[in-house]
Amino acid sequence: MPKIETKEKSFFNYLGRSYTDDELEAIFPVAKAELDGHSDGIIKIELNDTNRPDLWSALGVARAINNYNEAEITEYDFFSSAESTVDNEGRELQIHEAPENRAYSIGFAVKGHVVSDDDLLSLIQSQEKLCFNYGRKRKTIAMGIYRSSLIEFPIHYQGADPDKTSFIPLGMDEVMSLREMTKKHPKGIEYGPIVENDATFPYLYDDRGNALSFPPVINSADLGAVKVGDDALFVEMSGPILKNLLLAASIMSCDMADMGFTICPVKVVFDTETEYGNELTIPYYFQDPISCTLEQVEKTTGVKMDSTTVVLALKKMGIYSFCDEKEGIVYATVPEYRDDFLHAVDLVEDVIIGYGLNNFQPEMPQAFTMGRLTAAEELGRKVKDILVGLGFQEMMYNYLGSRKEYIDNMCVDGSDYIQIANPMSENFEFVRPSVIPSLLESESVSAHSPYPHKIFEVGKIAYLFEKDNSGTITKNSLGFLAADTLMGYNEVASLVNTLLYFLRVEYKLVALEGDPRFIDGRGAKMFASDKQIGLFGEINPVVLENWGCGMPTIACEIDLDEILALNN
Amino acid sequence: MDIDVKNLHPLEVRLLRHVNLGDAITADSLKADLDYKVGQCNQAFSWLVAKGFLEEVSRKNRVFYELTELGREQQQNGTPALRIFTYLQSNGAATLPELATALGLEKKDVGSAFGALSKAAVTGMNEEHKAIAIGESLPESEDLVIQVLKKGLEGPFEDTVLNDDEKNAIKKMAKKRGASNAPFKIVEKEDVVFGLTKEGVEAKKAIFEANITGEELGNVTAEMLNSGSWKTGIFRPYGVDAPTSRLIPGRHNPYGNYLQWVKDKLTALGFEEFDGPLVENEFWNGDALFMPQFHSARDIHDVYRLKNASHSKEIEEPWLSNVADVHENGGNSGSRGWGYKFDHEFTRRQVMRSQGTVLSAHQLTKAKNPGKYFGVERCFRYDQVDATHGADFYQTEGIVIGDDVNLQTLLGLLKLFAEEIAGAEEVRYVPGYFPFTEPSIEVHIKHPVLGWFELGGSGILRPEVTKPLGIDAPVLAWGLGIDRMALMHLGLNDLRELFTPNIESVRTRRGN
Repeated sequence: MPKIETKEKSFFNYLGRSYTDDELEAIFPVAKAELDGHSDGIIKIELNDTNRPDLWSALGVARAINNYNEAEITEYDFFSSAESTVDNEGRELQIHEAPENRAYSIGFAVKGHVVSDDDLLSLIQSQEKLCFNYGRKRKTIAMGIYRSSLIEFPIHYQGADPDKTSFIPLGMDEVMSLREMTKKHPKGIEYGPIVENDATFPYLYDDRGNALSFPPVINSADLGAVKVGDDALFVEMSGPILKNLLLAASIMSCDMADMGFTICPVKVVFDTETEYGNELTIPYYFQDPISCTLEQVEKTTGVKMDSTTVVLALKKMGIYSFCDEKEGIVYATVPEYRDDFLHAVDLVEDVIIGYGLNNFQPEMPQAFTMGRLTAAEELGRKVKDILVGLGFQEMMYNYLGSRKEYIDNMCVDGSDYIQIANPMSENFEFVRPSVIPSLLESESVSAHSPYPHKIFEVGKIAYLFEKDNSGTITKNSLGFLAADTLMGYNEVASLVNTLLYFLRVEYKLVALEGDPRFIDGRGAKMFASDKQIGLFGEINPVVLENWGCGMPTIACEIDLDEILALNN
Repeated sequence: MDIDVKNLHPLEVRLLRHVNLGDAITADSLKADLDYKVGQCNQAFSWLVAKGFLEEVSRKNRVFYELTELGREQQQNGTPALRIFTYLQSNGAATLPELATALGLEKKDVGSAFGALSKAAVTGMNEEHKAIAIGESLPESEDLVIQVLKKGLEGPFEDTVLNDDEKNAIKKMAKKRGASNAPFKIVEKEDVVFGLTKEGVEAKKAIFEANITGEELGNVTAEMLNSGSWKTGIFRPYGVDAPTSRLIPGRHNPYGNYLQWVKDKLTALGFEEFDGPLVENEFWNGDALFMPQFHSARDIHDVYRLKNASHSKEIEEPWLSNVADVHENGGNSGSRGWGYKFDHEFTRRQVMRSQGTVLSAHQLTKAKNPGKYFGVERCFRYDQVDATHGADFYQTEGIVIGDDVNLQTLLGLLKLFAEEIAGAEEVRYVPGYFPFTEPSIEVHIKHPVLGWFELGGSGILRPEVTKPLGIDAPVLAWGLGIDRMALMHLGLNDLRELFTPNIESVRTRRGN
């Protein structure tokens, strides 16, 4: 979930008045936001909607709250669209021989507001949130802000030779080639991998040939060093998916307009035809209208609403709409800064929030349905009761463990064990193939607990299994273990016999051979209807030593899925 | 003073009944009068002193001598000095090794005995360096030794019974430790004399008043029942609050019990349980839930991938085609879709199930309408393990299918869960966000102990999720974060404790 921070002063300024924490907590849900903290003049906000990047700034949250409170829709007049184009006053961004994997760059300029400390922090935060969360760590969106007073339009975006193109990057004081930046600059080390295997690297420069940046890595130390006091900026974003860039530009331009800037559109001339043509003036309104029926509103909410109610609810959400009363259809214009309307249900949700969630009444579902546990759960409970009656303590374990626990200590090769490709640590590298190592782990940490130890778990195990579509199989399994000064085959055989008697399983034993976990000649496999249902025996002292256990130990594992299959 | 005579052991009762104020009470007197064993005397003394009924009057150290095996043997067969002297007298001169062999003695014992005899001029060496007898009789000191050995025959004796000469003699013959190579062992004894206290007098009075003799019957034995001997006795009343011993019962795991309780609640509310494998593919883990394949939560590091069995062989149709279409262009769902090219290779990639909702998606393909389903499922997340994050953990969630379900029935269901399962005092609903539901609702509850917290997330499944899986009716989906309540229920504050391997910790854990 994205989290943002804002100075209380600026935030209350955007909201038009100050709010108590209780008031903030009460109003934040309309923006799917939560108050995450408020101290030392800083308000922390957590945003729950990962599909609403427009809310990841103090300005965006304030806009949503203001719209809701005033039922007024904020108007933005600087957007071009398929129907009309705003005058770009000669500002252009031209794309030539675009880099293969980052084909697009767009931008707009702003003026008429002096950048304050707080503005600068706020802009940097918006940039970060959009590029990191929405832009997937700059993979799909990289954004740069430049001092437009120093720029000579048109600006050029080009796939450049990484070894022959160079400038002084921000934070350094020497000229470096683009490739050197990916290797030496901290941002290059972080973001260089996005482009480092491409033939050409993205390069942004002005008409005098002065570098703006090497997106998505770093700005130039000169045109790209925005400072407090600047009053004219150029905002640019680049990436592989044009629509994402258009939305990011729309969000930034609305935020900056709210901040007090005048937005100055820039015409982008692409080197190829895009889904919106080969020229676009940015900010550009690209959204399609969305609609839903009043019937759908009723079906989804359970409340019959008239058109006025629906239109007002949407207005509170900053959405302009009108209702075709005859057809019973609500047509809505998607706000410039949003692109999260995929389906009519998305519009209905805005109706719900605008109407107020507290205005809906909880009702019980009417249909009769039968409650039921799975057969495995029912068998598991039966097995647990028997084991508890035999004096065993039920344990519950994690299902991930280390190579040492599951393989080395158990003296097995682990060739059919499921291994995690990207383990967080070697402690969680394998999926447990058996309950027995978990039980032995208990023994290894419980020597201080009075003996006898009698423990068990009914849980899941999983291992490789070629015949299944997944190449793996998950099983419901019972494992039990007992350790005491005198504990051996006779004890475990009697326990197995008692358990299987009460489970109504007729079984035969076959001596267990060549299983290094058990003492040779002191273990057995159980068969029922010619299927192996489990095994048991005395744990091999080598294994006990590996685990650091000092008591004679027996263990048994039974495949409960096989037992279920027998009973069916 | 209030005396609970029931808390007195028969050994204490009999002692108290027997003694009077001013008596000198000793172990010996109890052994003689009450037929107590030494151990019983000590028990009775320590208990009664602790209760303040007896007090120590005097304590004296006494030294006793006890004949050892060696001493007994010397007493029977003669001391080494006696035997050497007698041998030399009857057999004439002999070398010391010859003496040792002939008498079956250690060379060093022969050496020291001969040395002592020669010093007393009873024996000596001839020109051939052989030992010979010189005197007519053993020195007086050796007589003393023999005399003292004889005394030992009658059992341990105190040093006070010896005269001064004997005392000197026995000092050389006795050892405290390692006495096996000495004829006597020194045993030190403390003679403690106890006396009845004023409280003891009161206790004695109370015993007589309660008519307790200390002869009352203790444990009921099979012998007693069979012979009927209990009929002529009285059962001793026990102190009912005496300390008890620790038992180690077979037990269910309290966390497991809690999860079972949740399952039982849900089945009571008409939900049917589902379950599934731990290994899933991206298709069910995300694609079928309409999470775009480029969604940030699906990046490499948020789920555990598999090194072996890295991909499923195939994805079941028609689900694969339906879901691919809905991602690309909305398919039959009425959505515009995400508008990207669905990756058929990525969708087969296998992961450890990262969310329980996977099983809801599976369930949709076989669900009935109306239908209510739930699962309590182990899930896996790529997270740093700490007090609030486990490598694997349980999620509880489910779905409700019905032609008439809607936002208001969803709120009703959440209210039911909040009250029935979480014991909520107040319930609050706020808009939430989940990629697979629209609308999405979070339910916050005020718990009597935990205060306000988020109980869970819910919503109405997006048509992009339900339509491709063959469901036309609306489907409510919900998930409850019950870990927090489980911790409270178990009195814990660290998630890792739920799966602890520590036997002692699980044995002693109580639920609420």
